Amino acid sequence: MELFLARLFDGLSSGATYAVIAVALVLIYKATTLINFAQGELAMLGSFIAYILAIEQGMPIYLAIVLAMLLSAVLAAGIERVLIRPFDPADHLPLVIITLGLFLVINAIAGMVWGFDPRKFPRMFPEGDVWTYGIARLRWYTVGTTITVLVLLVLLTLLLKKTKIGLAFRAVSSNLESSGLVGVRAGPTLQFGWMLATAVGTLAGALFVADPFRQLDPTWAQRVLIFAAAAAVLGGLDSLWGALAGGLILGFIESMVVGYIDFIPNQMGLATAVVALIVVLLIRPNGLFGSKAVERV
Amino acid sequence: MSKLPITITEGSRNHLLLRYIPWTIFGLVVLVAPFWAAHTPSLSISDSTFTFSLGNLNHAVAFMVGVLGIGLLVGFNGQISLGNSFFMGVGGYLTATLVVDNDWPYLATLVVVLPVCFIIGMLVGLPALRIKGLYLALTTLGLAAVFPSIVRMEQLRDRTGGANGKRIDSRLDAPDWVPLETMADFLSGLPLVGEWAFGDGGIGGRAANAAWVYFLLVALTAAAFWVTRNLVYSRPGRSIIAIRDNETGAAVNGVNVPMTKTLTFGFSAALGGLSGTMYAMAIGFVAPDVFGINLAIFLIVGLVVGGVGTLSGAVIGGIVIVFVPVWSAQIDSMPGLPDRFLRGPTGIFFLGLLLIVLTFFLPGGIVFGMRKIRARFVHVVPPREVGGIDEVLVSAGDATGGKMSRHGGGSALDLDEDVIDPDGTDHETGPGPVSASAQQPNQGEPT
Repeated sequence: MELFLARLFDGLSSGATYAVIAVALVLIYKATTLINFAQGELAMLGSFIAYILAIEQGMPIYLAIVLAMLLSAVLAAGIERVLIRPFDPADHLPLVIITLGLFLVINAIAGMVWGFDPRKFPRMFPEGDVWTYGIARLRWYTVGTTITVLVLLVLLTLLLKKTKIGLAFRAVSSNLESSGLVGVRAGPTLQFGWMLATAVGTLAGALFVADPFRQLDPTWAQRVLIFAAAAAVLGGLDSLWGALAGGLILGFIESMVVGYIDFIPNQMGLATAVVALIVVLLIRPNGLFGSKAVERV
Repeated sequence: MSKLPITITEGSRNHLLLRYIPWTIFGLVVLVAPFWAAHTPSLSISDSTFTFSLGNLNHAVAFMVGVLGIGLLVGFNGQISLGNSFFMGVGGYLTATLVVDNDWPYLATLVVVLPVCFIIGMLVGLPALRIKGLYLALTTLGLAAVFPSIVRMEQLRDRTGGANGKRIDSRLDAPDWVPLETMADFLSGLPLVGEWAFGDGGIGGRAANAAWVYFLLVALTAAAFWVTRNLVYSRPGRSIIAIRDNETGAAVNGVNVPMTKTLTFGFSAALGGLSGTMYAMAIGFVAPDVFGINLAIFLIVGLVVGGVGTLSGAVIGGIVIVFVPVWSAQIDSMPGLPDRFLRGPTGIFFLGLLLIVLTFFLPGGIVFGMRKIRARFVHVVPPREVGGIDEVLVSAGDATGGKMSRHGGGSALDLDEDVIDPDGTDHETGPGPVSASAQQPNQGEPT
């Protein structure tokens, strides 16, 4: 029981962070029906910006994260305008290639500028445990991350459902051409989607590396991208709350499988995510909460 | 001079010259390159010295086959897969462990590598029947990301060497009957360029062995290209391409879509395995991170640089993905950049930049660009007139069928000419499947 609780809490803390990056993926997918392979790297870049602002500029960590979210959103606006918008949004291969290129470029720039030495990200949440039961410790970090994710999702839902830009966003994601006919300007709306997604990604990155058990280096996002993408697909790629469910499920699967099944070694957490991804796509291609796709032939 | 472009009739003497002169030059370059590279020629630009070494050349030749494998799957079959680095890893590690732990000769390991990769590839290809488009890209990227952690597993440490990688001590020694020495002496004796490019002749020890490995790799590469070319130009190949262009249409026309897709996946995986084996031959060392997510994307870079939907592009792609990182690591200083930046992963940066820039300015890759340039000067027309309809509607079937009968399968290296290009415009945007059903926001979802 203690062990089970401990695993549950582990799963909760990593699952919540996977969920935030998954939310970022979902936002871009909703807007452009594109999986942004560079999303993880953008989040990594954002976490570095927050680190630099907090440590080298001496800002309080929360201010640093908010500023980093703004800066990365501006960067994303530029990326969208320069690299994404010239391409036909209906043709995926060039866009996939562009995001793969971004993946390499951002990863390399971070490696060149900041090197590969692990760094300690400042704490975002108080040290210590909220509640302990034997070896099972519910850390403040876990609680803080979970609450942040929930608040974020509520805010995003309100933004999409209650505001004008949210309405435009939903119109564009539902039907690009028709929304153009009723006067929604697709370009800026998609740009807004990229900005929102990247800001969310930066928050996710900061949350992820703020775990005292983790460290900040330019490679952390590669592994997380797979988890986040699997979480997004599990939840149904176009469902924000589905991304949360997917992230949590994957977090639990990871900690339970690795924890309980002896012959599966530690490093195989990633493999369980990939297997889960394949199984979900085979059985429920639209994920748990995704809207059903209709393919016109 | 007559007006450009010159018009040449297909099959005429001039056309044959146009076909075979470039291939002869290419063959000579392939033959001479190792002797040149054995002396590690270098080029100095300001403070930086860029070298061209035989080891890197062998590495590039090995990766050509990897790019070819992914090119078949992405460029011809239209399945956006990023997972071929996984199969390269399987091939490389199988070869390493069989050579080191079981004392097999290098080439004999192919007997295991090719079927194993083919079967794993088919198994991966089975879910790919339902997982399409972006989802497939995602899943296969996951596969690529998993490989390093598989070989790092404790349980496999004895075989894989864990995180440290596995060194293969048994090297390939050049046998006596190969006239490497004679060849080196001959080249060095050439007037004008001889001594400058090839030194004072003689090639021995490590350089001779590396040159021997080079010729083995070139033979394997030529075989791989030849088999792939014949596959693509044959009836199954037309099925493969038909699936890319319109899956439903292909099925309606009697193509066994699931079978063709699965077999293509398997064949592509086998090429990946071969490439991994060749990597082990070239480098003599395999490590987990060589076959990680970066290699998976590098293969896409190679594909895009060479040209999606061409076979010969893989030659260029292999060279680019090996030499761009090597040369960018050799940049010593760059105006306006702190030196410490240049000690970082500059190769990854340039490859990523190349990927983005090419997608913008030369979406068909270098092969397509060269064809465009050639089309400025030479215009090849078919010998018979069919009321001009030929030029508008050259179907894949007609074009390839005609080629096959005229050239009888072609020579081993005859890959370039008019590699199937049934939808010329498609090169602007890459292969078709993604655009085929692109109107709906949720395209790519398996139904």
